[in-house]
Amino acid sequence: MTQLEIQQFPLWDKLKAKRVPLSFDLEITARCNNDCRHCYINLPANDANARARELTRDEIFDIADQAAQLGALWCLVTGGEPLLRDDFTDIYLGLKRKGLFVSVFTNATTIRPEHVALFKKYPPRDIEVTIYGSTRETYERVTRKPGSFAAFTRGLDLLFDAGVNVRLKAMALRSNLADMEAIAAFGRARTKDFYRFDPQLHLRFDGDPVRNEEIRQERLTPTEIVALERADEKRFGALVAGEDKLINAEFNHVGCDHLFHCGAGNGSFNISYDGTFRLCSSLWAHGATVNLRATRLRDAWATLVPRVRDLRSRDPEFLATCRQCPIVNLCLHCPAHAHLETGALDGATPYFCAVAHARAAAIQND
Amino acid sequence: MTDPNVTLQTICAPSEDVVARVIEDELIIVPLASGIGDADDELYTLNPTGQAIWQKLNGARTLAQIADELAGEFDGTRADIERDMLGMVGELARRKMVVAQ
Repeated sequence: MTQLEIQQFPLWDKLKAKRVPLSFDLEITARCNNDCRHCYINLPANDANARARELTRDEIFDIADQAAQLGALWCLVTGGEPLLRDDFTDIYLGLKRKGLFVSVFTNATTIRPEHVALFKKYPPRDIEVTIYGSTRETYERVTRKPGSFAAFTRGLDLLFDAGVNVRLKAMALRSNLADMEAIAAFGRARTKDFYRFDPQLHLRFDGDPVRNEEIRQERLTPTEIVALERADEKRFGALVAGEDKLINAEFNHVGCDHLFHCGAGNGSFNISYDGTFRLCSSLWAHGATVNLRATRLRDAWATLVPRVRDLRSRDPEFLATCRQCPIVNLCLHCPAHAHLETGALDGATPYFCAVAHARAAAIQND
Repeated sequence: MTDPNVTLQTICAPSEDVVARVIEDELIIVPLASGIGDADDELYTLNPTGQAIWQKLNGARTLAQIADELAGEFDGTRADIERDMLGMVGELARRKMVVAQ
């Protein structure tokens, strides 16, 4: 018998070469008990329509069975807030019983002792919790939910006191910018080897114009993003050390009109709360999705994914700019985000471009 | 180190606290509950002989009966087969991946 850390599994290379879906994300609900200003998916916790459209537990298990048959080993259970589902425990355990390594994204506000007992007996690969603020004032400015900070810290304490493997992260936005240093300290004090923040906000999956405008208002300026990254010595050091991989003329793909140069659909996929299959979470473009209530996963993986990845751009502006950009790896631009921003997979987003150039300048000038 | 309580008269079955899967003809064992293995993201693989043994651990046959079947499927003396099987099943039992009935 050979005991291996999962990263050392000798079949990885073989599986990657065969384009096996090794991992998938399951958004088991879009509903959330918070109402975060920057969120790209959240619907009200009591949204009856959203609830009615959610995959049932048995539908989730059927999809998981199909995924496992294709070779999947990792599953991320996310939302919305996945713990809002009354059958969360059944879903979590059922996915584990498929032989999947299960991770959970939660805001921790609804963690109860029975969840802790579940995670202790049947450990998740990890649980990731987002810190929206280190104080009640900041946290609830983001979540717009009175009492959520107390619920968050109570849930977090329950998890940490029980020794559950929790990782902390943060989104940097206008409403918590002044608190980011304290948020980082809050996170690092509780997780030894993992704390990260993301300063780049993308727009909503449902295209809600009012919520999208709120997200735009929450976006930091390129200067603010660079300042945050510079202040994080470890993060900025990694960016500088990886300069040759982040800024490289060979990324420019001159002469290629393929839209997709990312890893979407190469080894992973996403399932929305209503069963919509996508190559990645943000890719909602017409023709790039299919619903697994009507299509088998094997067919989606074998047919839809190659077709989407073969899509080309005919936009001369895109082909002359983003397609040839040597700092694309510093940019939030991708076909999926371009579509959320502009309605076109090859649409340009000046904000992303400005952020990428500011980051590149900071790295190169260090 | 193996489990000294595992003998040829023992009847074993896979524990409900692990999940066995076959991916690309390789059998892997994924821990489900805590206390199996040393970390939360570890998995286990078995060599072809180990796979054959695992698939025969059905909670109905003694290890002696399984050794009889293996003797017809693999080269090697009966003593070698018994030693290898007891070593592997003992290791699985120590790790709580199989349980004696």
